[in-house]
Parts: sequence; structure tokens; C-alpha cells
Amino acid sequence: MRIVNPTFGIAPQDEGSATAGPVDWLNDPMVLFSNNKPNARELLEGVRSRLASIRRIDNIDHIAKGSASQPAPPEMINDVVRKYRIALLALGD
Amino acid sequence: MSDTAEAEVLDIPEMDPDAWADFVEAQGWTDGLPLVPPTEDAVARMMDGARGDNEPFAAITPRLLTPTLRSLAANAVMAGCRPAYFPAVLAALRAVLVADYNLHGTLATTHSCAPMIMINGPLRHALNINCGTNCFGQGWRANAAIGRALQLILNNVGGARPGIMDRSTFGSPAKYTFCFGENEEESPFDPYHVRQGFRADESVVTVISSEPNHNLNDHGSTTGRDLLTTFAGGIAAPTANTISAKGPFFIILGPEHAATIARDKWTVPQIQQFLFDTARVPITEVSPENQERYETGGNPPENGFYKVAPTPDDIHVAVAGGPGKHSAWIPSFGGTAAISIRVKPPAAG
Repeated sequence: MRIVNPTFGIAPQDEGSATAGPVDWLNDPMVLFSNNKPNARELLEGVRSRLASIRRIDNIDHIAKGSASQPAPPEMINDVVRKYRIALLALGD
Repeated sequence: MSDTAEAEVLDIPEMDPDAWADFVEAQGWTDGLPLVPPTEDAVARMMDGARGDNEPFAAITPRLLTPTLRSLAANAVMAGCRPAYFPAVLAALRAVLVADYNLHGTLATTHSCAPMIMINGPLRHALNINCGTNCFGQGWRANAAIGRALQLILNNVGGARPGIMDRSTFGSPAKYTFCFGENEEESPFDPYHVRQGFRADESVVTVISSEPNHNLNDHGSTTGRDLLTTFAGGIAAPTANTISAKGPFFIILGPEHAATIARDKWTVPQIQQFLFDTARVPITEVSPENQERYETGGNPPENGFYKVAPTPDDIHVAVAGGPGKHSAWIPSFGGTAAISIRVKPPAAG
């Protein structure tokens, strides 16, 4: 039988892609980006501690969304893109 | 679960009802209950229920695909909708796609929220939507199918599949359907949609991302003030997502409670203000760790108490249900908004 596909939808037009240059994992500035739940911070702090044994950490910052239930504002995303080469995200509950 | 988004019409083998039920389960299309097959004819009849509606839809998160009227109608067919229900389903979808509703957050959260749909206006009678006794419960096709259709759309077009993108810790029965009508005929107040600026003769769908109803039982109080004092105690919960004024919620007054409150000359704004002022969570009921969270989140306590709504206007009041000394609190996700949208009647034809 012929049925209408209930999952059908039109994909967005390809908005192009950007290619980042190579990342220096030992030296490039990094941000630890939290969804603002307590355990996300916990997780990222643990990651930062472990990273200390393999790379410099004086250029690793920690930021959090204003609210776990709301998307990060575009200016925050843009700021991350501008300042850092590496972003590690944590969703913690 | 397969993802067959690329084709709008699918040729599948003829199958009996049992095989069809197994097929849709394997596809991940179902809420767990059997579905009506969305044949091309059935979908065409459903689309006729919304003839003349050419307004495009936004892409539905998290898959970010833009639905077609046809794929939406397929979900309405599967949910068991009559074609006359379809405009209400489309209005509800448009409402949850409004940015302030925060669809992505409400679908991906660990909270147990679901889209509550309240319908106002003449469409309630035209579709036989239950507004009275057991209005949040079973037994009415329109209530069951309209809410179910929206959930299926979010699952199938949106891709908010449970356990994958829908990360709710518990889910809730409201995720099957949560649709009711305001009991305007037994309300002593202006209908909810009129208070939002719509005409009484317009049909309007209001959505909010919420938990199911929590009961507010008061068989003893005989004055409006005493009833509202009981309600304030019931909604001052340190475990609600709206703690520390994080979002809106609904109070659904049962008709008997509403009559008592109105008899004592309370207006809706006065009800909102009283609940806003009185429903407070003492700081002693909040752990030190959470006190710190709320402080850093910009919602510190006032005089040792936490607010439960940002403003009195975030306490939405409506009337529904049947006889009995009960009202209902419908707590929201927090980071959401109550969105009201007019239902477009089908074009003459």
C-alpha cells in the first residue's frame, strides 16, 4: 500500500561549511562550556584536572550558559568562537 | 528505528493490522499504541479539514526539517483525528514553534514536561472537546487525538524520540496526550482567550510545556480567600521546576471553587496577585546547595522566601472540570511560555 511518510520534512538549504585550521591540543586556548547544572561543572573541573598532566592549563577558562533550560545566547557562542580554539561541552544532570 | 525522511510517499507491502502495528513500532513512529495507516486517501481527507491554510511552518527541532501539510496530516491520521480536528492540531504546532515556548529545551530536557493544549471558543462544541467532568482524562476522541497528533508530529517530523533526543527521566502520561477545553459556560470569569485579547467567538489554542495536573483538594474552605490560601500552600513547592521564579504555570479552577471565589468578588488579576504574594517557599525548605544555585542564577530569596513565579501575570488562571471540590495546578517546565494562537477555520469549499 502507499502511505504518506509521517517523518517527511524538507531539509534546510546547505549553508556552506567552514574549515578550521589544525588545533594545537597542548597549547591552544580552551573553554570548558557548561550547561549550568552542578554536575556539568563537576565534570568539567575533573577534565581540567586531568588535562593538567598533559598540557598547559593557564589558558583554559570555564563558562556556563545562563540557564540550563534555555539555549546559549548567540553573543556567548560568538565570544567562544572568537576567543578559543577548543571548546569542551558538558551536559550534566 | 529507521529514518525515511527522504520520501514523502512510501510504497510498503500490504499488511494486516497486527503486521502494521509491528511495522510502525519498528519504524519508531508510534507512541506505543496502534496507529491508523496514513494512506494517501486518508491523508487527503485530513488535509481537506485545513483547506486554505497556506501559512508555512518553521522547521521542527531537533531534526530541523520543515514539515509539509501532508506529513503533518499523516500524523493526524495516525493519531485518530477527524479532519475537523486538523486546524486545532496545526494551531497547536504553530504555538509550540513560537520561540518563547522553547521547544528544543522542552523536548530534550530530563524534566517530565509535555505540551499542554487548552482550547477556547466555539470549536470546543464543534469538535465535542471535553471541558467538564474528567476533562484531563480518557473518553473523548477530540481530547485524545488532538494532543496525540501533536506528540506524534514532534516524535516523527521533529525527531524527539524517547530515550534518544527526548531525555526525560520519567516522561509522563501527558506525553500521550494533554488536551482539554476551558469550561467557559461554568466559568464566572471572562474566558481565558478573551483575557488574552481574542474575541469570544474566535477559537484559540493555548499551549505551555507542563507537567500533568496536580490536584488542589479543598472540601473545607467556604470563602474565596480560604480557598486561595489552600492553593497557595499547594503550589509553594521547593521541588517544582518553577521554584525561584523560573517560569509560568496554570491554575485550573474547578467550577465549584471558581463560583465560591467569584461570589466573594475576586477578579482574575486579584487571584493572580494573591497567589503571587502568598505562594512562597521558605528558605528553610531549600538546601544550602540549591540556595547557592538560585543565588547565582539571579533569583535570590526575598525576606527569607522564594517566589514561585516571575510576576503575577505568569500565574495563568482558567476554569475547567466538573462538579467537585477540586482545582488543579499545572506546573510548567519553567523555561517556557504560554502561547495562544487562533485556530484557522477551513476555507469554504
